[in-house]
Amino acid sequence: MIEKEYLKKLAGKLMFDMNDEEYETLQKEFDVILKNMDRIAQIPDLKNVTPMTFPYVHETAKLREDKVEEDVVLSVGNVLKNSKHNVHDQVKLPKVVE
Amino acid sequence: MKTIKSYRKELDDGKVTSEELFQEARKKILENKEINAYVTVLEEKEEQEGNSILKGIPYGLKDNFSTKGILTTASSNILKDYVPVYDATVYKKLKASGAVLLGKTTMDELAMGGTGTTGHTGVVRNPLDPSRLIGGSSAGSCASVVAGITPFAIGSDTGDSVRKPASYGGVVGFKPTYGRISRYGLFAFASSMDHVAYFTNTTEDAAILTDILKGPDKMDMTTLEDDGKKYTETLENDVTGRKLFYFKDVTNPSYYQDKKDPILTETLTKFHETIEKIKTLGIEVEEVDFDKNLLTAIYPAYMTISCAEATSNNANLTGIQFGPRGEGDTPDEIMMDARTKGFSELIKRRFILGSYILQKENQEKLFLNAGRVRRLIVDKMTELFQTYDGLIMPASGGIAPHFEDASDALSDAYLILENHMAIGNFGGFPSITIPSGIVHQMPVAINITGRVLEDDVVLNIAHQIEKKLNFQKIKEEARCEK
Repeated sequence: MIEKEYLKKLAGKLMFDMNDEEYETLQKEFDVILKNMDRIAQIPDLKNVTPMTFPYVHETAKLREDKVEEDVVLSVGNVLKNSKHNVHDQVKLPKVVE
Repeated sequence: MKTIKSYRKELDDGKVTSEELFQEARKKILENKEINAYVTVLEEKEEQEGNSILKGIPYGLKDNFSTKGILTTASSNILKDYVPVYDATVYKKLKASGAVLLGKTTMDELAMGGTGTTGHTGVVRNPLDPSRLIGGSSAGSCASVVAGITPFAIGSDTGDSVRKPASYGGVVGFKPTYGRISRYGLFAFASSMDHVAYFTNTTEDAAILTDILKGPDKMDMTTLEDDGKKYTETLENDVTGRKLFYFKDVTNPSYYQDKKDPILTETLTKFHETIEKIKTLGIEVEEVDFDKNLLTAIYPAYMTISCAEATSNNANLTGIQFGPRGEGDTPDEIMMDARTKGFSELIKRRFILGSYILQKENQEKLFLNAGRVRRLIVDKMTELFQTYDGLIMPASGGIAPHFEDASDALSDAYLILENHMAIGNFGGFPSITIPSGIVHQMPVAINITGRVLEDDVVLNIAHQIEKKLNFQKIKEEARCEK
């Protein structure tokens, strides 16, 4: 079974934590998931296949003009609208450097 | 059952006003409160901008589409107070068509789930039988159409998040070719597989929506150039000589002899009865022996790719620029607290899986191999599409499960029958679910997946099959028996 401490480390990398019970559920779930993942490894000659990262070759893809689209640039007011602590048109956070 | 056209006629004949339709839909939401289809219901009808067949008709929009000034939560606590400051292209286009937004529909949190049970406002129930789930992640959108609240609703589909619930609710679920419809303003889950998709009562309504929503968008560089086609105009094309295939063995009831699941057996028997009816349309349907190792690898490959992509796509949910601010003395502590409180357990488990997959020591074995499997499957499908116009399969191995039902996540029946529709996301293929019969008083459905760019062919074939099957009649008969 996968170590709880290892899972905790992974959660930490993603900036969250879980309680003990939740880690135990995850440990059990990992058992099933890893068994399923093994099915991938059973497929022969995978090494020579290039991994696919996009559904199909998109021949019409083109770069857009390198210019600012004024209508989609958010105003400072809009950027800050959903932030809870703002000071002087900036998002406020605790000091990082003392 | 009311279609977009029947709503249009009522409006044009002056039998009803758009305001009355809007208020009636609001009332239906209250009458169906236990279904929990909506997170947010608009109190007042928005100003209508445009004119099209959709003008004045109410619809539901999944709560992961950005709507300026309207709460958009993705059914997650981490976005429970988020009010977007821009519009998704899909929403803009619907506004420009005159369609009336009724509200934002409940979903599986951040679209990561297939049950409709993980949203922060509670579970979504199946309007046909509230003791059963409707499926997800686009649960509320599906329920809205099934309950007759709106004639159509927009969702998103990364694995089968529209096409599976459609099956559980006895409605049509269509996911066009990847790039056909702009994803701008759709909260990203797994960008290489995310699609805009929708629920309707008929294939014709699905074609109507596609005609309105498709087209290039400068805000989404993956959108396709317009193909200049009107999909509503080719629905009646002759389908004689079209060829479909289905996967051998896994669709055969006797393949699961040891399982003794009467619903599975009946669903697969019904599937073959449906195939026989389809053949009378002049469509050839053949079985194909597809590599079983590849089929059982669909689900793990899907989980690997989607969780890995989701892990990075959701890294912006920190509670700092939006969402509830966490507590703590440092930026890290604040973020940690917001994310610990903001994500549900299921989401955290999926993120940890994504993180595991992306660790240096696992990347080759898991992440890259999943991408390799994806390519093998898509290449094989593309090869088969040289002979066949589409893949036809049961959309699920059964009917909408009860909330307490658990699936055997390691069985072939689960791995293949419940997950094969992700093929449509791997390759961006257009894919449609249409209801095909009744099992134990609940609907079952078929799914048809076609060649990339051939949305018109998929809709045409599905429309002709829909007419042949006459599902509405089947549904009425089943109701009478009930």
